[in-house]
Amino acid sequence: MSSNTLRLYLTCIRNTLEAAMCLQNFPCQEVERHNKPEVELKTSPELLLNPVLICRNEAEKCLIETSINSLRISLKVRQTDELENILTKKFLRFLSMRAEAFQVLRRKPVQGYDISFLITNYHCEQMQKQKLIDFIVQFMEDIDKEISELKMSVNTRGRLVATEFLKQFI
Amino acid sequence: MACIERASPALKQILLKFYSVEKPMEIDHHLYEFGSVQYHIQSQASNPLVAYLSISTPSLCHGVLQNELSSYTIETVKRLCPEIVEIVEPAREGYQLTLRLNLNQIPRGKDYVKVIRDISTVQSVILSSQLKEILWNVKSNVTMQGMYKPIKLVYHAREPFFIIIEPQRIIAVFPIRFKEKSELIIATTFFQELMDVGSSDKWAKAPSCNWSAIPPPELRGETLEDLSTNGGFVTFDISSRHIEGKRLDKTVWNLLNFNAYVRYHVKSTKGYIQRRMRKRLENLVQVLHHTNSEANEQTKQHQAAGYRHAKKQLRSSKYNIMKQRWGNFGRKIKTHFRLRIHGFGRFRQRWLRFPKFSSKGYAKLE
Repeated sequence: MSSNTLRLYLTCIRNTLEAAMCLQNFPCQEVERHNKPEVELKTSPELLLNPVLICRNEAEKCLIETSINSLRISLKVRQTDELENILTKKFLRFLSMRAEAFQVLRRKPVQGYDISFLITNYHCEQMQKQKLIDFIVQFMEDIDKEISELKMSVNTRGRLVATEFLKQFI
Repeated sequence: MACIERASPALKQILLKFYSVEKPMEIDHHLYEFGSVQYHIQSQASNPLVAYLSISTPSLCHGVLQNELSSYTIETVKRLCPEIVEIVEPAREGYQLTLRLNLNQIPRGKDYVKVIRDISTVQSVILSSQLKEILWNVKSNVTMQGMYKPIKLVYHAREPFFIIIEPQRIIAVFPIRFKEKSELIIATTFFQELMDVGSSDKWAKAPSCNWSAIPPPELRGETLEDLSTNGGFVTFDISSRHIEGKRLDKTVWNLLNFNAYVRYHVKSTKGYIQRRMRKRLENLVQVLHHTNSEANEQTKQHQAAGYRHAKKQLRSSKYNIMKQRWGNFGRKIKTHFRLRIHGFGRFRQRWLRFPKFSSKGYAKLE
């Protein structure tokens, strides 16, 4: 059931991204000979499209903001307990601090979200649109998988260490 | 403060180095461990076969034990290596115990490492014997409400723990404090696992363990400072069978080591998480780079395909094919007619040249 909802959630995000990722070069209207991501500046409302919010549940959602030359994807990852919370924070902070390795990752997430991507028309020119969408979707899948695996590993390690400690009394 | 390993690593290293050196040398080392344990190792070059090791360690329990070492502790230390270790009376100023180490008595061969390791465990031996003494001799006072008064053991200034000695059992309570939230959560997970494992049938013989966020009722009446924690309280219920015979030593060492054990687990778990995150980052970056390189390859292929197409178009042009043929023919004529004939160049230019059909072209009038 859970994997089914995840698949639907990811398919919905994929379809929305496919529709939203039609970016073109557009010079800044405010500063001459500058080219800035309009989704970040938000100075010209005519260049912005309506943001799309896709929610799997209250704790898991994805905000897709589109403009003429850039696209911003913000993700909120599920954190059911404290351990998942610190693991998610640690992992996403770790990735954000190494944002230069990803090119499309934003150093600071949008408020209310855990991680954000900023895709410009230049990224679309350098990389294939379809592959870029695949990467975003795979990233989301991997994050979920990694957090679950990490949580399981921490619990297993704890259990093993606890067993070893109690073994010493016997 | 105890270390997971009984022998002090620094002391062991110094003694091993001093013993292995061929040329007699003078040493005078002051060592501090865990902020409160102090060692002084001294040896003179005139008498290299004898070294003096002085140790100062805070008492485990100020109210119950005296600052000087008890006769039981001294006897235990003497039993460490009776042929090599002698206790010097009185101890050097500022230290509780001074040992004279007769290095010439240390056996040659591989055994010397074991002997030196045993000597390096002196601080853990003192701590263990102090706790054993408490467990054996001290009888807790019953308070007004029929509760037994807890004994506060301070083996590290920031990590005290409590022992409540009841007639049938001994309760050890560890207040848990961590600076970082992440450490606290990892430790909490460990305590939950410890409770789960301890409550299973397989570990019925092990002391039952309990973790709670609020102080256990046995600590009622203790100071607020001691009861204020961020990680709750871990309680071990130790029965008489756990302190019988050889088990006593293990139980005592486990209790003294519990905090260090938890901290070590938290530290290594953090390291493990960091390693996994690094690995996953590499995988994710590879996916993106793969995307990037595929895109580049496809762009190159497109460019190459376009070039080939243009080439094809060029090749298919009749004008160019004929031009090439005429060029070859002209070259042949040029090479075959090596004799210079006056006016033949002009004739060749005029009659053996491929005519241009361009609209912009024009015929030169002569």
